[in-house]
Amino acid sequence: MSMKIGVYICECGPNIAENIDIDRVIDDISNSEQYKERELIIKRYKLLCSNEGKEYLEQEIKENELTHLVVAACSPRDHDTTFINICKKTKLNPYLYKMVNIREQCAWIIPDKKKATDKAIKYIKSAINRVLHQSVLIEKQIDSNPNVLVVGGGITGLETALSLASEQRKVYLIEREAQLGGKTAHFKKLLSRQGDKSSIIEEKIAGVEENKNIEIFTESKLENAVGFLGNFEITIRNINNNQSVQERTVGAIIVATGYTLMSAKKLKQYAYSEKDNVFTALEIEDMLKKDGKILLRSGNEPKSVGLIHCVGREERGYCSRICCSYLLKIINYLREQSDKISIKDFYKDLCLPHKHDQEFFEQIKEQNVDFIRYDDIAIKRNHISYTEVGGSKKESDVDMVILAPAMIPAKGTEELSELLNIQLHETKFFQEAHQQLNPVATSIEGIYIAGGCHGPKGITESLFQAKAVSGKIETQLIPGEKIIPEVKVSEIIEDFCMGCQTCMDVCCYGAITYDPERAVCSVNEAICRGCGNCAGSCPSGAIRAKHFTADQLYEEVNEAIR
Amino acid sequence: MDQVLTIKKNAEAGIIDFLKFLLQKDEIGGVFTLRNISKQGKYDYGLITDPELLKDAIPLHPLMPVNGGKMLSNFSVVDEKIAAVIKPCELRSFIELVKRSQGKLENFLLISYTCGGCFGFKHSVDNNIDEMLPDYWKVVAKGTDYKDIRETCKACEYFIPINADITVSVAGEKDLNSISRLYLHSEQAKRMAEGFEGDISDEEFDRSQYEHIINKRKEFKVKLFDQIKIKDTGLDGMIDVFGKCIGCHACSRVCPICYCILCDFESSTYDYDSDMMQTELSRKGGVRLPPDTVLYQLGRLSHMSFSCIGCGQCTEVCPADIPVSVIFRKIGEKVAEIFDYVPGRNVEEEVPVTIFKEEEFTSLGED
Amino acid sequence: MKKPQNKGVKISLKKGLKESILKTIKDMLHNECFDAVLMPMQVPAKDSYAWVLIKDKKILEEANPIAPVMPVQGAKALSSFSRKGETSLNIAALMKPCEIRAAIELSKLNQINLRNITLISYDCPGALPLSDYTDNPDNSEKKFKTIIDKLNFHDDSVKPVCQMCDEFSLIPDCDLHFGFSHNQENFMLLIPQSKRGEQIIKTMDMKASQDVSEWNKFIQEKRKKRQNKRNERFKKLKNMVEGFDTLMDTFSDCIGCHNCRSACPVCYCRQCYFDSETVIPDSDVLLLKAKKRGGISFPLDRIMFHVGRMSHMSLSCVSCGLCSDACPVSIPVAEIFSYVADNTQKDFEYKSGENKEESVPLMTFRLEEVKGIKKLVENAEG
Repeated sequence: MSMKIGVYICECGPNIAENIDIDRVIDDISNSEQYKERELIIKRYKLLCSNEGKEYLEQEIKENELTHLVVAACSPRDHDTTFINICKKTKLNPYLYKMVNIREQCAWIIPDKKKATDKAIKYIKSAINRVLHQSVLIEKQIDSNPNVLVVGGGITGLETALSLASEQRKVYLIEREAQLGGKTAHFKKLLSRQGDKSSIIEEKIAGVEENKNIEIFTESKLENAVGFLGNFEITIRNINNNQSVQERTVGAIIVATGYTLMSAKKLKQYAYSEKDNVFTALEIEDMLKKDGKILLRSGNEPKSVGLIHCVGREERGYCSRICCSYLLKIINYLREQSDKISIKDFYKDLCLPHKHDQEFFEQIKEQNVDFIRYDDIAIKRNHISYTEVGGSKKESDVDMVILAPAMIPAKGTEELSELLNIQLHETKFFQEAHQQLNPVATSIEGIYIAGGCHGPKGITESLFQAKAVSGKIETQLIPGEKIIPEVKVSEIIEDFCMGCQTCMDVCCYGAITYDPERAVCSVNEAICRGCGNCAGSCPSGAIRAKHFTADQLYEEVNEAIR
Repeated sequence: MDQVLTIKKNAEAGIIDFLKFLLQKDEIGGVFTLRNISKQGKYDYGLITDPELLKDAIPLHPLMPVNGGKMLSNFSVVDEKIAAVIKPCELRSFIELVKRSQGKLENFLLISYTCGGCFGFKHSVDNNIDEMLPDYWKVVAKGTDYKDIRETCKACEYFIPINADITVSVAGEKDLNSISRLYLHSEQAKRMAEGFEGDISDEEFDRSQYEHIINKRKEFKVKLFDQIKIKDTGLDGMIDVFGKCIGCHACSRVCPICYCILCDFESSTYDYDSDMMQTELSRKGGVRLPPDTVLYQLGRLSHMSFSCIGCGQCTEVCPADIPVSVIFRKIGEKVAEIFDYVPGRNVEEEVPVTIFKEEEFTSLGED
Repeated sequence: MKKPQNKGVKISLKKGLKESILKTIKDMLHNECFDAVLMPMQVPAKDSYAWVLIKDKKILEEANPIAPVMPVQGAKALSSFSRKGETSLNIAALMKPCEIRAAIELSKLNQINLRNITLISYDCPGALPLSDYTDNPDNSEKKFKTIIDKLNFHDDSVKPVCQMCDEFSLIPDCDLHFGFSHNQENFMLLIPQSKRGEQIIKTMDMKASQDVSEWNKFIQEKRKKRQNKRNERFKKLKNMVEGFDTLMDTFSDCIGCHNCRSACPVCYCRQCYFDSETVIPDSDVLLLKAKKRGGISFPLDRIMFHVGRMSHMSLSCVSCGLCSDACPVSIPVAEIFSYVADNTQKDFEYKSGENKEESVPLMTFRLEEVKGIKKLVENAEG
């Protein structure tokens, strides 16, 4: 195709014009030996981002039948999209365009006008050389399915399902137990700040069961999920009836598989057996829900109870966040049951982050509870040995020990992460895409995480995350709207590929597959995010990163260092 | 009518002076020639752009680390001319590459010389060429072959350059040590020489004076061909001769005519499925791995043997000491004969495989 | 090399070493322990050796389990068979320890599927340089026969890398191993190392009841001697490699033929990165470069190729020495690369070819592991 390249230099008012000799730039480039054989137009304009400027550029492209475009102006952060949109309007392929920053990177930082102009000339020439080697890339539009899959029927999954389900968007909810509700369903009471009643969970379960836009699969697991944002083919298998397999198509998957508690018996400081009166907080909650009272295995009421915080915190390397709060709740249960029970609360640090937690704590402190801060602690059945902070070694015998073990990812988390190709954090909880900027997304587009499976948190934070996920999906997966996958992806030149799978090892998105019959790898362009890891890792150089080919980069850099 | 530029210096020094003149006058952008690169007497081909650095140049040094013609194909588009001093076989290689669009003649001022042959890699590794040089030049000046040059060279009857802009008289040049005789063939050579300090007179380059050398070389070639157990037609002897081939493909990598970025025989076309081996195994009871050793040689023969100009790099580089160059020349010449083709002779002469018609040469099948 | 834990099968050497090994393999073939076996055989012109995958017992009789030369690396031969597709064919490969190790490295790089392959090795005295052999095959056969007859593991006519090789015996992930370096009472040991190896012993109705400690003692002695030689040689190699100018001098004869890469079993790329379009510059750039420096060399980037190859494959280098055999200008590539590989592998606490399950660090390393780079960064920042 015959190439006609237009180079437009924006004065940006006085911002660029005052410190860059634009006429010299135009002169230099127009008369450059390099472009003698090329059809090149180079012009200046006052303010390209203004309405008149945009119209001007549009007209220029159309009248001059430009095929390639370089705009030298401010930062691409400001106006790259502006000019891309003009390209789209005029049918100049946006991948044959490049924006160069001669304001922040030249005019504004180099006081010497001649030097600033020299640099601007170099920048623009580099961009011209790069653009002349760029290739047309065509964006595709693919249909997307607005339905979603929620894995996990605990409070997070339920809330997410309720937020998202509508006539235009079906929700498929998978739960491996026979009943919905997750951990929250075990609690007779919630903290007063959480609403006190446990009916919150019953309400949500009822809401989900009544909603005709939500299809529930209990005693089921996610067997397979293949695809990408907008198009996941999922397979659901019934755990009891192995033959029963259901298939659905969804546009997004939300993982809300929750947590479990670490087994304290794994730690050598906690020596006890199932016959002893040593319970985890969850076991106490179950007991309370079933029997209404906290009792020893013999059926009698305990005369003394020792509660231990931070079980396994040091070994796991993180604080589980909710234990201090719920242990206070349990102390409250005990006091409601009897004010005669001797209660010793062994804590290492106190984590009471919510607005009302301090108040609750003060209330509990009034109720004749022995708060002991420990340096180290160990139990042998009902016998507690500890060193108080600033004090000496002490021993204490209690009727009942209640442990707050660390929260750990639910069983099956590793398998699920492999199945979906989403990453795990060091702690084996699911890894979010970015702690601050993208806390409910994962490395795979279209797959989200929320609730306890993401990390230790309580009901309150879980509900926040459920709403965050819903928000993300509402904006990303709009019923009826098509999805445009990334176009600057990698491609593998199969003629040179030896199938060593090095690229697969470094792909975080699961975008590369291996064909054993032909012994080569190939990139799924719909999943590829164009990070370029594979292109860099291939020892053979058999992978090309579109829009970042060696040629293009070489031309740009070569000109810059000439 | 050719011109001859006579410089009152030894042949090598004369060329260097002339090249310096051209560089300084900006007639050329660079000089491609052999040069010294270290104190240990190591050398390689270089593109020299600084006239001062021409002091390291050794344009007539009897060594060929790589085929210079193959290197020239790196220059497909250049603004300035490059003067290249290369051996006649390297020049012929380049002509063959130009025919296949792998090089551009107009980029160069091609300087070659009547070649007395060069030493093999073994000698450069052993570092004893310098001590042999004085004798070597004496022998070459007499128009004979030095005993230790490569056999490929002793069998080469094309040691007189064809298609060069300038031919330097070396083989049989009795005044080699004191006079440089540069024959200027082309208009651009004559024009560039204007202003250079030296005698220029009209004199046609006389190819007939080399008959005795040519005959001697042809005799040796026939002797070498006879030593190869492969006949020039048929498959007899292929397995015996190429049995020790290890399939490293070094021969094709250094061959100037083998320009393919990915050789067909290295592409996935020749990958075997483990299943395919099963059939062969059952039929023959044993399968050589990796397979297709002889097939590769046959393939290369059919792809390029008629263009083989006998530079001998393949033999030099073969780890199994197979006389590849002699084999390919032997078979190649026979094929080229059928087409009346001589590789490297004329850039207008088209490559046989691209021009013959179906009805031609049907008699070949009857052999 | 690891200390053998199992006992071995006692196999008589009455018929001679070569014949006894052949007979054992023949019996295994007969008992369908595997369908075919990969072994070296002399080529028809009797001037070299080639790998042949043998099914027919008659052909097997012509094979030579301990060939005097290694023109093609066994792992390369294996990968031409096993890289693509699945097969129901079960084969055995009788190769030198360095070839076994290379096969294990290639399996990690997805170039060999070891599922159907029984790996068998033996105590290796080394191999003769290829050019020595092709110069005079008859003499070389005689010379090597003496080495084998005398069980001389320190002969200086074998390749330099063989002389300093300390991984010449038991390889952890090898299925079966023929140990004969001690030859005390005219028997050799067949030592199973894996479930597959043990299964074969069982199928053959053999019993691994012979103590291996005597043999192991001999091996350790020989190993010590080889290691001393290795350390000595490395001291000299250090001076050939450290510093860019030194490196350029060492490789000054290099003609850029890339033979070393072609012969190397670990270099599996169809097109080497250093032959690819990415690194071949445009001609106007060449002229520009030449003008900047006054001159440039051809072929281009010869040192870059070696340094690049080192960084791509040194973690998997098994010091087999084929690169040196292939080099037309006698650069001691194998020794140089062995020295570099030793260092890079140490940095990652990785030993090539030892453990099928351990990934090559090139694919899985974390920045913290690369001590050398850490230092570089610190120096740069400080």
